[in-house]
Amino acid sequence: MKKSKKLLATLLAATMCAGSLFGCGSGDDTTTEGASGENTSSESTGDDASTGGDATSTNPEAVQNLIASTTGTVTLTVWASEEDQTLTQQLIDLFEAQYPDITFDITLGAQSESTAKDTILVDVEAAADVFAFADDQINELVAAGALQPVSATYTYDVANENVAGSIEAATVNDTLYAYPMTADNGYFMFYDASVFTEEDVQSLESMIEAAQAANKKIAMDISDGWYIYAFFQGAGLELTLNDDGLTNTCTWNAAGGTDVAQAILDLCATGVLVDMGDEDMATAIAEGTVAACVNGTWRAADAEAAWGDNYAACKLPTFNAGGTDYQMSSYSGYKLVGVNPHSDYVGWSMLLAEYLTNYDSQVLRYEQRGLGPANIEAAESDAVQADPAIAALAEQAAYATPQRVGANFWTPAETLGQILASGNPDGTDLQTLLDTAVEGITAPVEE
Amino acid sequence: MKKTVNSVLRHVVLLILAVIWLIPIVWLVATSFSGYRGINIAHFFPQSWSFSNYSALFLEPDSVVQYVAWFKNTLIIAIFTCIISTLFTLMVAYTMSCMRFKGRKFIMSFSIILNMFPGVLSMIAVYFILKSLGLTNSHLGMIIVYSAGSGLGFLIAKGFMDTIPVSLREAARLEGASEAKIFWKVVLPLSKPIIVYTIISSFLIPWGDFVLAKLMLNSGISSDWTVAIGLYNMLDKSLINKYFSIFCAGGVIVSIPISILFVIMQKFYVEGVTGGSVKG
Amino acid sequence: MKKISKLFSSIGNYFKNFGVSLAKGDIWVKSSLVVMGAGYFARKQIINGIIMLLVEAAFIFMCIFYAAPNLAKFGTLGTVQFEQTFDPLTMTSTVNDYDNSFLILLNSIVALFIMLVFLFVYIQNIKSVYKLQQKKEEGIHINNFREDVRAMFNDRFHITLMTLPAIGVVLMNILPILVLIAVAFTNYDQAHMPPNSLFTWVGIRNFKNLFTNSVTVTFGYAFGKILVWTLIWAVLATFTTFLGGILLAKIINNKRTKLPKMWRTLFIIAIAVPQFVTLLLVRNFFADSGIVNTICSNVGITDFLKNIGLVSPNLTYIPFLTNPNWAKVMIVLINIWVGVPYQMLIATGVLMNIPEDQIECAKIDGANNFQIFWKITMPYIMFIQGPALITDFVKNINNFNVIYLLTQDVFVTSDQLLANSNAKEVDLLVTWLFRLTNEYYNYKMASVIGICVFIICAAFTLITFTRMIKGDREEVFQ
Repeated sequence: MKKSKKLLATLLAATMCAGSLFGCGSGDDTTTEGASGENTSSESTGDDASTGGDATSTNPEAVQNLIASTTGTVTLTVWASEEDQTLTQQLIDLFEAQYPDITFDITLGAQSESTAKDTILVDVEAAADVFAFADDQINELVAAGALQPVSATYTYDVANENVAGSIEAATVNDTLYAYPMTADNGYFMFYDASVFTEEDVQSLESMIEAAQAANKKIAMDISDGWYIYAFFQGAGLELTLNDDGLTNTCTWNAAGGTDVAQAILDLCATGVLVDMGDEDMATAIAEGTVAACVNGTWRAADAEAAWGDNYAACKLPTFNAGGTDYQMSSYSGYKLVGVNPHSDYVGWSMLLAEYLTNYDSQVLRYEQRGLGPANIEAAESDAVQADPAIAALAEQAAYATPQRVGANFWTPAETLGQILASGNPDGTDLQTLLDTAVEGITAPVEE
Repeated sequence: MKKTVNSVLRHVVLLILAVIWLIPIVWLVATSFSGYRGINIAHFFPQSWSFSNYSALFLEPDSVVQYVAWFKNTLIIAIFTCIISTLFTLMVAYTMSCMRFKGRKFIMSFSIILNMFPGVLSMIAVYFILKSLGLTNSHLGMIIVYSAGSGLGFLIAKGFMDTIPVSLREAARLEGASEAKIFWKVVLPLSKPIIVYTIISSFLIPWGDFVLAKLMLNSGISSDWTVAIGLYNMLDKSLINKYFSIFCAGGVIVSIPISILFVIMQKFYVEGVTGGSVKG
Repeated sequence: MKKISKLFSSIGNYFKNFGVSLAKGDIWVKSSLVVMGAGYFARKQIINGIIMLLVEAAFIFMCIFYAAPNLAKFGTLGTVQFEQTFDPLTMTSTVNDYDNSFLILLNSIVALFIMLVFLFVYIQNIKSVYKLQQKKEEGIHINNFREDVRAMFNDRFHITLMTLPAIGVVLMNILPILVLIAVAFTNYDQAHMPPNSLFTWVGIRNFKNLFTNSVTVTFGYAFGKILVWTLIWAVLATFTTFLGGILLAKIINNKRTKLPKMWRTLFIIAIAVPQFVTLLLVRNFFADSGIVNTICSNVGITDFLKNIGLVSPNLTYIPFLTNPNWAKVMIVLINIWVGVPYQMLIATGVLMNIPEDQIECAKIDGANNFQIFWKITMPYIMFIQGPALITDFVKNINNFNVIYLLTQDVFVTSDQLLANSNAKEVDLLVTWLFRLTNEYYNYKMASVIGICVFIICAAFTLITFTRMIKGDREEVFQ
């Protein structure tokens, strides 16, 4: 221990410099957060207006205010799915052209809608200013404060121009949190019309008979909570989200639950209804082993390519449980666009989100990508109406519910599906099986 | 007679094993030349052959495939990671092997235990530390992530330096060389195998990691990614059916330089890794 | 015991020396308590004095502007909830000056760490200033700054060498681990995620939850089950690849094997493809509707396995990676595929150096090849590779890649109790933990498991390496 600590001292000095960097960094963060980079004109803090919840009137004055108060470059990041990149870039360019006085620097990133929350929730502040996501994530995103409420609209009336279901899907606790973009993210039945008649597709049982005769299979991802819901909800058993937005109430183990479970067991035991993941379905359709699928528009395209003119789509069939025929339910699915409240340019982000979801954009989206519009007018166009997948979804809509589920639903439901699809190999009493699943589904998030 | 049977048997066993080891690689290469974009589940070899996957990789970048950009990013990160890691590793190894000071053994045991701590566990804290320093979504941040802790991986290099005769260092010291000079002029030149091994193995880290990279490079802008995240992303549920064979092509391309390095490293790996312990 | 008491006595001495320095020091030493550079200025070490003064100033600056505001909230981890108001007329939003619990935690730990380091420097400063005083009194030469710098490349070269790596390790390893440990005592999970919500300290509640098997919280059950599989896996993975590598090396290195280099290269090609590529590839290779299943069912293997009961009769495929038992076997086999070439390389090096004379002696004594292998080769390899084997074992406990890449998105658990804790039969502790943080944002439980994994690994490592380092083997061979 000589007097040798000078270097250690410099080391320390370096550490501390780094430390003071930390300090400054975080300090800056909060201040820019507070000033929101959005310039000076925020002295008129209209309290009543901001609490107004769903102030739906369009307000051109506000946009003028925003343009007037914007100096410098507006830097935004947008996330859209990989498939939507070209279209979104096109829309962004059009949006920029609308405001020639403003310098934009809008970056487009790829983030698939189905997994948007995985990236966003890790660090909300680092997420894009405007992002597309599937409506099933809305609760978790709202709980994490990742969505700016749509408390006012400026260029079109979001709440009234989109179908009611999509608005319901974008609403949490009576507050609208996102802009509906498409209305085709749910699932339905599509089939090979050379194997099934329109009569057959009314019930699963008759479909199975027809498929058996043709030595084909019917595919459904039974070991997935999203799909197995169709059976239980169809039979009137409930799965709902509690008010806390995180935990679930589930009655799948109530009276009639075992009948549904038995029905799934029996259907799978025929060997015709097979439990198959989404990716495998694509190959199975191409191979020709599968002649009907319960899946969404994203897979319907593969089927259309494989079956050609015989491609047909319809609502989900009925299934028989405990002697009664039940219509299978489903989750209606919507893709939504959200605005990050941590954005430095919340105003511009909202305008951009509106632009990405307005009538013209939704029409363009259908034309280029074949995605079913949520906009009422766009959805009523002849081209959209003639699309079998979208027609099937519309037909199924009567039996569909928006997805309102807490995170604890997925793994237990997936396992329940797995056990039933594999024929309950341990021979567990069905009631016990359901009780355990419900226990997991309704488990509290915080002890 | 028995010997020939033995010998034939030995070669047959080797052949069978080699086939088992190479089947997935053959499938990888075959699929990369497939004319079909998804996974072909019916046939081992594709029914139509084409170079389209490679041309997609290099000539038609879209938001999913930015291979050239990924390759460049990864290469930059790998080169700097490699320089810093190698320096750090050798510096610590020399200190631990050739110098004697108070607390040395404690520091050694402490670092070995610390090095056992799996990176995935503390990832989120690393992310926020880098974010406080403004280094997420940057090459510099990735370089720091991969190289900052490399000092802990000194053990193999130390084992090797332990085998360098102490008399050489003592002779140099008698001639008036400073410790720094001994490090540069005496020990490093004698540690060639372990230096090569350290260089190559640290160079390879950024090519194989997707977990940390995915967390740190979260801007969603695919041209910022590394090869590993890019390829991993292609197997996303919604993309796999369109990109599987491109994934294979990407896998083949990234494997070529790595294979070459690996074959070079092989010799030094054996010398370096076993050098210390064997002589011990 | 002796070690521990030695540790305590050295800590005692450390502070005793400090006291002695202070008591016997002159006015300059004592004034160094307040003005850190004072002692150096008195001995004409101006630059050293300035450096120490700057360090002190920087530290005080850090305390006021960084440590104090953060540490003030450390007890509660923040109280001001995030609030934002949006003004629809100006289209701007205002955010209150909210607390971010995670940043408070992180910054406080950094601040505490810096304070600890500073304390160490502070004490050392007094001691070295006192030494300067002694030197002066005894008339010994006091280094000027240039000489001090030169010493950095000589006697104290180790400090020069270690500085940068040490900073790196502190930044990327030590601080994150400290944060992780702290999080284990908070309620940081999806319901309490900054910046939108706050989290706070909950004491040891999370640890209690881990080991209770209450009706809804099945963490204890899942933890036990996964721990057992993790250990089984680590043993299997380590020994299969180790033995496989030796056997393969033996076969290739045999004098009568033709073209040994070619064979070796063939096996190396298999590992030269990055692991994530091969593993993802193999996962699709063995998928339920993958190529292997197509071939197996065409050839009739699937039906054969059904007949002997290895595949359940209502399946049309072999559930390579989807049935828990099949998946476990497959994972071990695939790991052999991945790991054996590495071990083969190492074993090659070891085998080359095996003392030939012993084998010759044994041969003369009439031992057969088998006996030679088990009685001479194996003990020799074990002697050399023993420590490496333990390292491998610990690495396998944390073998994230193999398990995650092979089973993620593919494997669905059929154990409902595991499912209720978001675990799977094939999970290792690390992969379970990764999913808890990555998909369920359950940071508090992930930290608890992380600490457990760390303790297990540290124990294994400590046992082996202290033995290795303690035995003065390293000096003998230099």
